This record gives sequence, structure tokens and C-alpha cells, in this order.
Amino acid sequence: MISRKVDFLRELGTIGMGHATTALSEMLQGKLLRLEVPDVRILYFEELAEYVGGLDQVVAGVFIQISGDVSGHMAFILPVESAAVLIRLLVGDGQEHGVFDELGRSAIAELGNIMVTSYLNALAALTNLVMKPSIPGLAVDMAGAVWESILAGAQVDDEVTLIRTEFFAEGVAIHGNIIFLPGEDEFRKIADVLGLGAV
Amino acid sequence: MQEVFVNMGQIRGLAGAGILTTVGLGSCVGIALYDSSARVGIMGHIFLPRSRPDRSAAELPGKYADTAIPALVAEAEKLGAQRHRLWAKLAGGANLFSNLAGANGNIGQQNVQAVLEHLKLYNIPVVGKDVAGNHGRKMRFYVDSGRVTVIAIGKEPIDI
Amino acid sequence: MPKTVLITDDTAFMRMTLKNVIQKNGYVVVGEAADGEEAVAQYLELRPDLVTMDITMPKMDGITAIKEIMKHDPNARIIVCSAMGQKPMVIEALNAGAKDFLVKPFDADRVIEALRKAAP
Repeated sequence: MISRKVDFLRELGTIGMGHATTALSEMLQGKLLRLEVPDVRILYFEELAEYVGGLDQVVAGVFIQISGDVSGHMAFILPVESAAVLIRLLVGDGQEHGVFDELGRSAIAELGNIMVTSYLNALAALTNLVMKPSIPGLAVDMAGAVWESILAGAQVDDEVTLIRTEFFAEGVAIHGNIIFLPGEDEFRKIADVLGLGAV
Repeated sequence: MQEVFVNMGQIRGLAGAGILTTVGLGSCVGIALYDSSARVGIMGHIFLPRSRPDRSAAELPGKYADTAIPALVAEAEKLGAQRHRLWAKLAGGANLFSNLAGANGNIGQQNVQAVLEHLKLYNIPVVGKDVAGNHGRKMRFYVDSGRVTVIAIGKEPIDI
Repeated sequence: MPKTVLITDDTAFMRMTLKNVIQKNGYVVVGEAADGEEAVAQYLELRPDLVTMDITMPKMDGITAIKEIMKHDPNARIIVCSAMGQKPMVIEALNAGAKDFLVKPFDADRVIEALRKAAP
């Protein structure tokens, strides 16, 4: 049933995102983060460009491969302006470190790594399935180029299931997306473990 | 001046005037084919090198290098081009996430390779290219002149 | 005599953060390694009192590095600092010889507490 699958994925997205943003909040000294309800889409290839939108916008993208009991990919994408704010909050040494500087890039890569891993830790705890993240890859570039590199890397061919959540930080303009791209049939493994029957 | 955007997997053509633009070429390869006598320009935005044998007919031929090149040529001819007059310019095929080097190899590189192979089958010369590297590109193809400009963040735009 | 620490993490940002926290609390950071290979090499050269070790790293991962270091020095005091918090991984690290396992993001107090416990 398509809607059961969507519900289930949305729930996964909420759980994972809850942990990821808790992690982010702790890194930002407890700033309150507002989460949007995850947007779960099953999109055909042709629809991706429109869904992604703002193809010209410059973004920072962190891309991670998942292996273990579940395979797939995850990405953490945020506009450079948000990345710049995060870098300033994380590094906090009074110097300007943008997304094009070594320490700034390192901070964003690590942030993406921690958020994605927290997301996976939550799912792993829930399902008892091992989900190991790879070393993160970071690209700062046009959104269109970043997205399509992610989709090619995730070997998305036809149809892609995306669980995308946005978060906003209280009083500070940050927003970003975590995208979970489970491998073919991977969500079925998760559903089986959770006793959800056919999704 | 009409500007037409060519997204992943799409093929678009113009005759006489206008601009064909792909945004955000990462590992994808943007191809511009041009017949300067007929002033017909076609642009493709290729995502992967090879189509799967079991792929559905509904899938965009422009997604894969092997199905895109024939489709691009056919589209050009529909607009009045003659295939023996066509030349090609390429941009893209980059590797943005170097942590992927292992598993699927460098898809950008594979795409460029596949495109070059298939263009050779049609005897279409490649008269300009800006490919590989680790950065995204935007490609603008001016159909009145055949000029192709490649834009990347932090770099000067270049004509290929 | 202040205790010496070797920090291992593939991210410059995290090495910097840990170094700040550790040094503010009376320890001396004598080395920084960006992957498991460097960690093993620097351990053998510097013989620090304590080691912080990330898990997911290029060239050689943290678990392998722990095993290597323990082979040379069964008394090595290694504390894992990783974003990876899944049970099988924690167990694997502890079985390999790590004294403690901290999940990122961790607060400064927790890091210092772990260091003190490992080398009182």
C-alpha cells in the first residue's frame, strides 16, 4: 500500500531526524531546533529537478554511504548562508571561516557526519540492524550539481524514495535538509524487522 | 531571447536563435550539438553512461549516453540539421564527492568516456570541452552563433 | 607531571575542538593523527598516557588501530570518541581493548571524566 509505506517512512524520518537535530542542538549549546514533519516522496526521475528547486543556489552537501545490514546513502544539504552561520557558531574563534576555508569545511563535514550518524544510530537502535556510515564527502557548489552527483552516486535510476526533513534553529537563520536514500528493498528489511508486514 | 532549460535526462533543441542552458552539471555531462549552416542547436544532459537492458520504454533516452546520442542526432535532424555537419561541445563529468571513488568509480569520468565513444560512432567531432575536476558547471549554448559558455563558482566563465 | 594525550580524528575541526577541551583541563596534547595508520605510528613514537580514537577514518579505521596499538602495548589507554553509537560497534571497540566509548557530540565534562577514569 503506497500510503502505508509513506507513513512508515515518514515515521522513520521523524525518529532519525529527532536524534540528528538533538545532536545538532547539543553542538550548538542547546539552541532549540524546530523540525518540520518529514516530507516523504517517491519520485520519478523526471520530477527530481522540480522537487529540488533552486538549482542555481550554492549549497554545502555532505554525502555518506551506508553499509552493514542496510545499504543506501544519506546526504545533508544546506544553503551556504546557513553553513556560514553554523561554522561561526561551531568554531567560534572570532575569525571568519567560510565554507571555502579548510577549517570551515572540516566543521561542516563533521557536523554532517554527526547528524547523519545520529540519524542512523536511532534507526539501528530501533531495528537492531547495523547501519555503518562511510567517511563523509563534502562538496560546496550549485545545488543542481550537488544533487545530481548524489543521485548518480546513489545509483538512482528510475524511481527514488526520499525522506527529507527540514529544520530551523530558534532565533538563528539556519535551515537544511537530511535526505535518506535507502537502497532498493532496504526499507522492506526495516519494515520486516519492525513487524510492519507488507509496506 | 528565449532561454530553455535542459534538466537531467532531457533533450531540447532550437533553430536560429535562443539559448539552451543546463544548470548544475555535477557528474552529468552536458552535450551541445550544432549545425552552423542550418543554425540548429540541440542540448542533452546525460546522467549515466549505459542504459540497462531491461529499462522501460517510458524512460527518457536522454538519461544515458548510449541512448542519448542517437536521440540527440534524431532531434537535430527533425529541426533541419544534417548529421554530417554536426559538431559537439561537452561540459561536466566532474567528481564532486571524492569519498565515492571506490564503489561506483568515478561516474563523471565514465560519462565522459561513454559520450566520446558514442559521438565517435556518429563521426561527430568534439570541438570544445571543459570536463572532469571537482566542481559543478553551468552550460549556456547560444544557438544563433554556436557559442558555448561554461560557468563555475569561483572561476571566470570560459567559452569552449 | 601532566598526562600526555594523542588525539585521533579525520576532521581538523574535531581535533581542534578536542585539543581545546583537553588542554584547558591540564593535559598536554603531544600528537594529532588524522587516520588509524598515523595513530599507530605516533603512538609508538610518542608513547602517550592516553589516546582518543575516532572510528570512521580513511586508510585505517579506529577499531583496527586499537587492535594494532594493543598488540604493541597491552597497557595502552584508548578512549573512543565517535559519532557511531550502535551497540555492536561499542562492544567491538571495548573488546578490542578500548577503555571507554564516547558518542559525539559529547560534552567537555564527559571527555575529561573519561580521561581521568582511564589514567587516574
